[in-house]
Amino acid sequence: MRTSLLSPLDQTAACPRRRNAEPTMAQLVGPLRKELADSLSSCRVLVVGAGGIGCELLKNLVLTGFKNIEVIDLDTIDVSNLNRQFLFQKKHVGKSKAQVAKESVLRFCPSANITAYHDSIMNPDYNVEFFRNFQLVMNALDNRAARNHVNRMCLAADIPLIESGTAGYLGQVTVIKKGQTECYECQPKPTQKTFPGCTIRNTPSEPIHCIVWAKYLFNQLFGEEDADQEVSPDTADPEVAWNPADAAARATASNKDGDIKRVSTKEWARSTGYDPVKLFNKLFKDDIMYLLTMDKLWKKRKAPLPLDWTEIHQLESSQEEAFGTGLKDQQVLGVQGYAQLFHRSVETLRSQLIEKGEGAELVWDKDDPPAMDFVTAAANLRMNVFSMNMKSRFDVKSMAGNIIPAIATTNAVIAGLIVLEALKTLNSDFDQCRTVNLQCCSFHAQHNFDGFPNNNKFLSDFGIRNGSRLQADDFLQDYTLLVNLIHSEELEKDVEFEVVGDAPDKAPVSSVPEEGKNIANGNKDSAQPSTSSKAAAEDDDVLIVDSDEEPSSSTMETSLESSNRKRKHHDADTDDAASKRKRLDQQPADDDEDIIALD
Amino acid sequence: LALALSRPRGEDNIISEEEAAQYDRQIRLWGLDAQKRLRGSRVLLVGLRGLGAEVAKNLILAGVKGLTLLDHEQVTEESRRAQFLIPVDADGQNQAQASLERAQLLNPMVEVKVDTDAVESKPDDFFFQFDAVCLTRCSKDLMVRVDQLCASRNIKVFCGDVYGYHGYMFSDLGQEHHYVEEKPKVVKGSNEANDGPEAKKGKVDPNETTMVKKTISFCSLKEALEVDWTNEKAKSSLKRTPADYFLLQVLLKFRTDKGRDPQPDSFAEDSQLFLQIRDDVLETMGLSSELLPNTFVSYCFSEMAPVCAVVGGVLGQELVKALSQRDAPHRNFFFFDGLKGSGVVDYFGSK
Repeated sequence: MRTSLLSPLDQTAACPRRRNAEPTMAQLVGPLRKELADSLSSCRVLVVGAGGIGCELLKNLVLTGFKNIEVIDLDTIDVSNLNRQFLFQKKHVGKSKAQVAKESVLRFCPSANITAYHDSIMNPDYNVEFFRNFQLVMNALDNRAARNHVNRMCLAADIPLIESGTAGYLGQVTVIKKGQTECYECQPKPTQKTFPGCTIRNTPSEPIHCIVWAKYLFNQLFGEEDADQEVSPDTADPEVAWNPADAAARATASNKDGDIKRVSTKEWARSTGYDPVKLFNKLFKDDIMYLLTMDKLWKKRKAPLPLDWTEIHQLESSQEEAFGTGLKDQQVLGVQGYAQLFHRSVETLRSQLIEKGEGAELVWDKDDPPAMDFVTAAANLRMNVFSMNMKSRFDVKSMAGNIIPAIATTNAVIAGLIVLEALKTLNSDFDQCRTVNLQCCSFHAQHNFDGFPNNNKFLSDFGIRNGSRLQADDFLQDYTLLVNLIHSEELEKDVEFEVVGDAPDKAPVSSVPEEGKNIANGNKDSAQPSTSSKAAAEDDDVLIVDSDEEPSSSTMETSLESSNRKRKHHDADTDDAASKRKRLDQQPADDDEDIIALD
Repeated sequence: LALALSRPRGEDNIISEEEAAQYDRQIRLWGLDAQKRLRGSRVLLVGLRGLGAEVAKNLILAGVKGLTLLDHEQVTEESRRAQFLIPVDADGQNQAQASLERAQLLNPMVEVKVDTDAVESKPDDFFFQFDAVCLTRCSKDLMVRVDQLCASRNIKVFCGDVYGYHGYMFSDLGQEHHYVEEKPKVVKGSNEANDGPEAKKGKVDPNETTMVKKTISFCSLKEALEVDWTNEKAKSSLKRTPADYFLLQVLLKFRTDKGRDPQPDSFAEDSQLFLQIRDDVLETMGLSSELLPNTFVSYCFSEMAPVCAVVGGVLGQELVKALSQRDAPHRNFFFFDGLKGSGVVDYFGSK
């Protein structure tokens, strides 16, 4: 989608006789033509997010001449934001991003009319009517759920949306306009990477497997237990072939305190009073010895080496705690060091549990030191067991916390491009808009209800026929629906369709703590809304590009996405779904011009 | 005035826990070594208008050791509206001085200084105290002089400007710029031919990377601007040459002749002059005026804030790369056309 900026000189160029006419007609306000400058001062725009991209964007908007800006962000300021979110200073840590951003901008542009909301854009107060107040919406978000939501609201309100994202040195800007371009959800987005249970529980081969295991362990011991987050050896591992003769060996190797298969990890831990040494020996010795009896696993792999608490502490203490010139977090300790860290963190977490009272559960948070210590220690001990090089707390935190590296310059460039696109988008109101019947998300239920051009089409036009299955979710992303279409000649007169089956339940209780865990894990790509106003969560902007270059840390699955209860997203893994994505020819050639990927 | 010639280059730099917390997200990108080198670097930034303010912000946030803001001009309403560091009541003050307070607040760990002299008046050795210099709003002659002075002393030289919707960046990192690139380590499989994907050597971490050392050489600004377009080889490459290169030449000439950039206040007169200079410059180069159609003119006035952001971002990142000696630098021009939304890196000068 490209519109040309009007210029008095364009008129002369269009008319050959006057091609080299004197450029005397233009009136400039700074670098802009007067008409454009005037339209900027009257239009209203919404900026969703006041973080890395948001701060830069707000600055660019007011300096360009936009006067009426509303900005919304549910987060508060963290010290790790200060390397790029330049509207914030150290003294602002803990305060509302939207609010402080507004105040900072007003200091250099007091005439700007800025409204700040310390709130979630997914709050129902911000309904379609709210969105219709604006001529343009610009996303400066870091999570998929919010992006999906704003995408839908802008489609419903028919307001142009400029979508963007950054991660490290990469960034992207896309304009989304109903009826002209495909929307944010038209293309399936990469989902979080997940690992098979047996890899996590039996045969880890990379540090990330050990880190995921350690996070599961945290939840099993201190947090909400999840059936999909088992940490004990997986006897159902398809690689293991059961041999009756092994039974005796297994029995000997199994935990002295009972059959580990019948007692949950948490119950077992409770029964020992969360004794760190007993915990250590169970996890890193007994369970490992159990794994060793599953000898098929180790025919082609290096077998794990169990650790024993007492033996470790009898070894000569090496230079593990050497402090050198390094930062604490950057050091890689030895086995003794991580054993000690394990011991300390278990005791601290145990106290936290006791303090919270009966039935209490902790939520893992990368910025909570004992929680992070625990995962660092447990993951490293497991890495050691499986002969992997151990990692510093710094590195573990990156992977466990899904931290996406971020710098000021990438955000600055992307925010600059956003405003340039904004100018073009707004300017298209002066031109004739091309009337293009670009179908967008033709199978999203809500489009059919608000008079979208599809109403006159038949399902068969979209490749839908008797026996087709449609996967859909509702507007607010509360439900995942699998709809089987059966043709029937037996419906009553004037009845066009009939729904047979149970009304779906809203995703159960898991949705609340699931969000909580995902937030605390910094797992922004999980399409769960970040609703925490405390925002211990990672605030970094997320790259929304289907790129092979996406750093592995950002596609890591560390939490609940492997769960069967996970809400499915638009995976488009059926042929039917693929054929429904009608895109007219106009599109892809022009698309890339609006995107600059920078290295 | 004798100045110390030693420039700390990152040795003995200890990053404090406070810095580690603040710089965490960038350390995770470019590493601790790069951050240490930044932390030991002193930079001179000339010109505090829209582009200058962006570069200042980016360098201060990155955590250089010191940044000197040099500008002899006074704040006007127009210049104040172009950037975000100058307070509203600062009209009439020196531009660099007025920018100081907000610049310093961006990151108290950086030593931000102000110099209100005209850059032309500075003696040669003034520049030697810096690891990198960034020149904005400077005349061609000044830029060529400073570039010649600095490049031979391994002081990294950058030039940049924004004019309306257009902007450029030039860099001269010297004859031998050394840097490192992080590449993934190639993991060798185990020796047994029958092994499946699970069979890895116990101690190999497939996620490990390795640093590869490289060297690259740059030509001078003088060479880059004095490309001979009359020979056949140059003529054949004309099609691929961004028009912005010629636009830059025209604007530099305007700046030299008029002592200022085109101003909205004198749009009619400046547009005329611009077109005339275009004709002169292109004719001197043996090229046609059609390379720069008339339409360019009205988009070259003042500074577009988003274009300052883009060019300032690229320029800032190139400075970070050069000072930290990490990652391949752009060589040697970056042109940005805000109308098209397109940026291009291109090389001009001897190969």
